[in-house]
Order: sequence, then C-alpha cells, then structure tokens
Amino acid sequence: MTNHKILLVDDDRDVLEMLLSIFQRAGYTNLRTAASGAEALRIWQEEQPSLIVLDVMMPDMDGFSVLKKIRRTSRVPVLMLTARGEAEDRIEGLEIGADDYLAKPFLPKELLLRVGAILSRAYPRQNEMVELAGATVDMDNAEVWKNGEKQALTAKEMQLFEKLYQNAGRIVTTGILCETICGEFWQGYESTLSTHIRHLREKIEENPSKPVSLVTVKGLGYRLNLKEVSP
Amino acid sequence: MSAVQRFFRRYIVSTVGIVILFLAVNLALFVAIILTGSMSGADTSFSVRDFSDHVVMQDEKWVADDAALSMLQEQSAWAMLLDEDGDVVWQQDLPENLPRSYTSTEVASFSRWYLEDYPVKIWTRADGNLMVVGYQPGTLVKYYFSLEWPYMGVMLGGIAAVFIINLLLIIFLILRNTRKVERAMTPILQGIQNLSHGKASHLEEQGELAEINAGLNRAADYMKKKDNTRAEWIRGVSHDIRTPLSMVLGYASELEDDRNLPPNARKQAGIIRRESEKMKRLIDDLNLTTKLEYALQPVHFKDVDWVETSRQAVSEVLNSGLDSRYEIVFAEMQPGRTIHLLGDEGLLRRMLDNLLRNSITHNPQGCRIAVSVGEENGRCICTVSDDGMGITPERLKALNRGDDIASTQGSDEKAEHGLGLKLVAQIVKAHRGIVSFSANAPHGLEVRISLPTQPLIS
Repeated sequence: MTNHKILLVDDDRDVLEMLLSIFQRAGYTNLRTAASGAEALRIWQEEQPSLIVLDVMMPDMDGFSVLKKIRRTSRVPVLMLTARGEAEDRIEGLEIGADDYLAKPFLPKELLLRVGAILSRAYPRQNEMVELAGATVDMDNAEVWKNGEKQALTAKEMQLFEKLYQNAGRIVTTGILCETICGEFWQGYESTLSTHIRHLREKIEENPSKPVSLVTVKGLGYRLNLKEVSP
Repeated sequence: MSAVQRFFRRYIVSTVGIVILFLAVNLALFVAIILTGSMSGADTSFSVRDFSDHVVMQDEKWVADDAALSMLQEQSAWAMLLDEDGDVVWQQDLPENLPRSYTSTEVASFSRWYLEDYPVKIWTRADGNLMVVGYQPGTLVKYYFSLEWPYMGVMLGGIAAVFIINLLLIIFLILRNTRKVERAMTPILQGIQNLSHGKASHLEEQGELAEINAGLNRAADYMKKKDNTRAEWIRGVSHDIRTPLSMVLGYASELEDDRNLPPNARKQAGIIRRESEKMKRLIDDLNLTTKLEYALQPVHFKDVDWVETSRQAVSEVLNSGLDSRYEIVFAEMQPGRTIHLLGDEGLLRRMLDNLLRNSITHNPQGCRIAVSVGEENGRCICTVSDDGMGITPERLKALNRGDDIASTQGSDEKAEHGLGLKLVAQIVKAHRGIVSFSANAPHGLEVRISLPTQPLIS
C-alpha cells in the first residue's frame, strides 16, 4: 500500500513540505511534489502517479482546471484539498470527478485515512488478509478462515464486510449499510440488514451471540474492530 | 393598523374637516353680506304706504302734510295720486313731461317697470286711489319676478341637490386622490420599513415618485453591498487563516504522535492540536453563520431521512475520537419508523453536531448525552439532553426569548460560548422550526428542536 506513487500538489512550499512529512512518516516511500498546476500536469504525464493530492486554490491554474484536464484521459484517483471549505466547492469537485475532498485545516490522520481508503478502493491488494479477533478474512476470495476451517462469504456479506473494513474502527450507520446492499432506496430494509449481519457474525465471530469484531452500536449502526496489533 | 394606514386615515379625516370648515365659513360670509346689504338700504328705505298715509282729502282737496313733503325731498322723489279713472288728482314735483292721465294699461306697465325711466313704487289706498312715488332715474333697480309653483319646487330641490352633489364630489375626489397618493407611497414606506429591519427590497422605478424609489433602491443596494463586503471580508480572513492553521494542526499532530519525543512534549503538542481544532471549528462556524445571516448560502431543500441524518451526525462525533468521559446514547421515539423531512441535510447535520459539541464543551468533567429523534403531529422532533452542569435560569430565559446569542460571554463565565448555539438557532430558523431550551432534571441542559416536515408549504 505504501509503495504507491503519490503526487502532492500545492502552491505553498510550506504546506507541500508538511504534506511530504506526513506521508513519509506514515511510511509512503514513493512521493512526488508539484508547486503549480502546470508542473502537476507535467509530472502526471511523465510519471503516472497512483494518486494525486491536489490543492484547489493555486495562482496559475486552479485545482478544478487541473482535474478537468486529467479527467479527459485518466481515472487516476484524486483527493482535493481546499482552504475555502465551501459546500459548493465540494459539490463542484466531486462533480468533475474528484474521489474525495478535504478542507483545510485537516488532521494528518484524517488525510492518511482518506488516502488509504481511496487507494484500497482503486487498487485492491493481492492476497489481502484481514485479521480479526476470531477469524481471518481473505478479501480476494471472499472466504473466512476460522479455527482452521474455511467458509465462503455471500456477495452481500462481502459487500457489507468491505464497507465496514474501509471504515474499520468507526461507526457505520444502519442507513449507509442498507444503502450498500440495497441501493439508493434502502428504507425498510433494516431487518434484511440485521439478517445479513447475523450470518456474517456466525462466520467471523468466535461467539456470534457475544460479538467482539462486528459490534452493534445501539441505535446508530455497526463497527468493525480489527485485531489489535501488539506493537 | 400600521403607521402608514393610520397616517392616511388621519389625512382623509383632516381633509374632510377642511372642506366642511370651508363651506361653513362661506355660508357665514354669505349670510353676513346679505345682512350688511339689507342694513345699508334700511335707513333710507322709503315706504310708499307710510307716505300715502300723510296724503289726505281735506275740504274736497288732496293735501300732503309737511312730513310727506320732507320724505319726498329726502329721496328727491316725486309723487302723484291717481283716482280710479287714471287721472292725476294730486301731485308733488311731478315732471312736466309726464302725462296727467293714465290708462289702465299704462298703470299696469309702470307698476311693474319704469315710468319714462323713472323707477316707481305704488300703493293702492283703502279709498281705491293709487299712490305713485317716482324716484330719480338710476336710483332703484326693478325686476319683475314670477315663477310657476312646480318650477319653484324643482329649483329649490335642484339647488339643494347641486349643493349635496358638489359636497359628495369633493369628498369623492379627496378620497380618490388620497388613495392614489397612498398607492404611490405605500411601497416606499414599506421599503423604508424593510430597510430599517435590514431587509433590502427592490422597488419599481416608475411613476411620479420614481426618484424616491430609485433613492431607496440605491440605499438598499448600498446596504447589501456593505453586508456583502463584510461577509467577503470574513470569508477572506478565514481563508487566509486556514493555511497557516493547517500547518499548526498538521505539525502539532505529528509531534503528538512522535514516539521519539518525551511524553511531556507530546502532551503539549496534543494541547496545541486540540486548540487548533477548536479554531478550525470556530472559523467554520463563523463562515456559515455569516452566510446564513446575510443569506449568501441558499438552503438546499431536499428529501431528508431524519433518523438516518441524526444517526450520521451522532456517529461522526463518536468517530472523531470522543473522550471516554463522554457517553452519547441515541434513541428513536418510534423505532423503525422512517421520517421524511424537506431540509438541507448538510445544515441539519451541522445543527446536531453543534448541539452535541455544545454539551461536550460545557461539561469538561464529562457527561452523558441522550439524543432522541422522532415525529410528533407531523413535525420532526429532536431532543439533545445532557446530565452536565446546565446553565443558569437567567441564561435559559434569555436563550428561550431568542435574544441574540452572544458569541462570547462575560469574563466571569468560565466557558466560552462559541458560535455553536447561534448557528443552531439560525439553521432551525432557516427550516422554519422552533428551538427551546430547558433544564434537565436533576441537572443539565435539554435542547428540543421541532421542525415542520414541509417547511416550504407553511
């Protein structure tokens, strides 16, 4: 994951330096920087990065224009950074094809989390194994290994698990989970969701009636806890 | 009744008063003139009847006494007495050129008009003779006046009718004119009133008062421009702060997580990080509150799932790494029910987020926050209650009165208020809802929000 080539674009050298430091500390090794829209386009063409972190407000060519040019030929994931924080900016950015959007000032953790989520969506890892307290989930084959036994996940269970995994450690609301498996008009499918969750728990939890990995957050939704990695 | 209506009502009454006064004064003057006229003639008036009494038959001869003669001299008049045959039986100063005998036709003629240019007055005496007094030409005007009864009736009625019609016409014209002025003035006065409330309205620049309307429009534009300038200024400043704050937040957070640093330094970096996050929220709030206040941000009304929106707002606060001193409990009043609402999802989430953060900020010792959402009588309800310190009854009253929620409190108050609650009130208002604050038993604050599901219809 951390060997993806990431292009960081911001006209402010100090911000650029900070972005670089954030990604380096997080373990990313393949980083490029650009201080203008034109430079960003040149590096993008020459080096084909895996992901671009793009500032909106730049003097020569703003981030929206850069993104429009890129989107003519490429689907490379782009995360927009803006100092305006306007809802309109967000809508415009997402409309012309940004993958995500983050307003300044932001927490480094938040930025890394979003970049990580975009990368795992755009470049699914080969042989990705998710370690849980009582089981291991093979993301490529949609299989669960528990106590040395293999069990297959259904398509819906896999969709649910992926959504929860992308937001691991965070609450995902009932509505968002229903939307994941039923689409836009999900209202009324809450009981379907709980059925799927029950089945999923039977496969991944050591004791499905006392879940520790896929926990219910009363009234709100569910949260997937990954296995604690001892430092 | 508005001040404008009252003004015009008073204006009409006073104008009608003026007309009535005008008529009364005219009537009084008219009567006065008539009286003066009759008085001016009264002392010199000459009664032929009185005069006639002074002419008597004495010893088969007609004789006038001295009083009669002096009466005639005063008027420089002449007199004659005609018997039943039309012959002059007595005369005094009768001009030479006048005949001494008259036919009944001639008598009938001069009794109405003039006798050879001499205006005459006549009196039929009890003895059947006719006393004729002639004045100098040009001293008396004589008219013969005769009318038929029905015509007289019509004329008197007509005069009265003309008078009344005139009066009504005047009143009608006054009312019509006033209406016209009122119609022209009302938008202007309304515009001024709007301006005084800070609302700018555009007036039609047409008609006689176009200049005033144009002036008001200019004032409104100026006010709007000033508001926009202020909003732009706030937006600009907050934009300029965002980049440096990014650096502070970014590096502080990096230092906080740096395991190579001594724990004390990391703790301090954590404080910088948290304070920077507060500043970030403050800037966001300031931006949004300015936009809502000056209506720069249109509210995007869309179909919103009220329960799910609340869930997401609560989850977001929990996901942002809430300290373990705080507990948030979420409950639906009608579990499983889907509640639809026409609203701006982003703003509604912001509203709930601000309410939760308000409870968190004001209870540094920790508290339990209960969020409950549901539907009551077609309105979306949300209550956020904490078991924290609560607020003073005075402040509670001030909040419920809808006083301008100050962005900061007096120096004696421990917690700074932020713009959180002001923003909540603004968002609720934009959705035409009601927000109320009450004390939570045994302690703490409860905020209840009630929003119409169809804010645009009401």
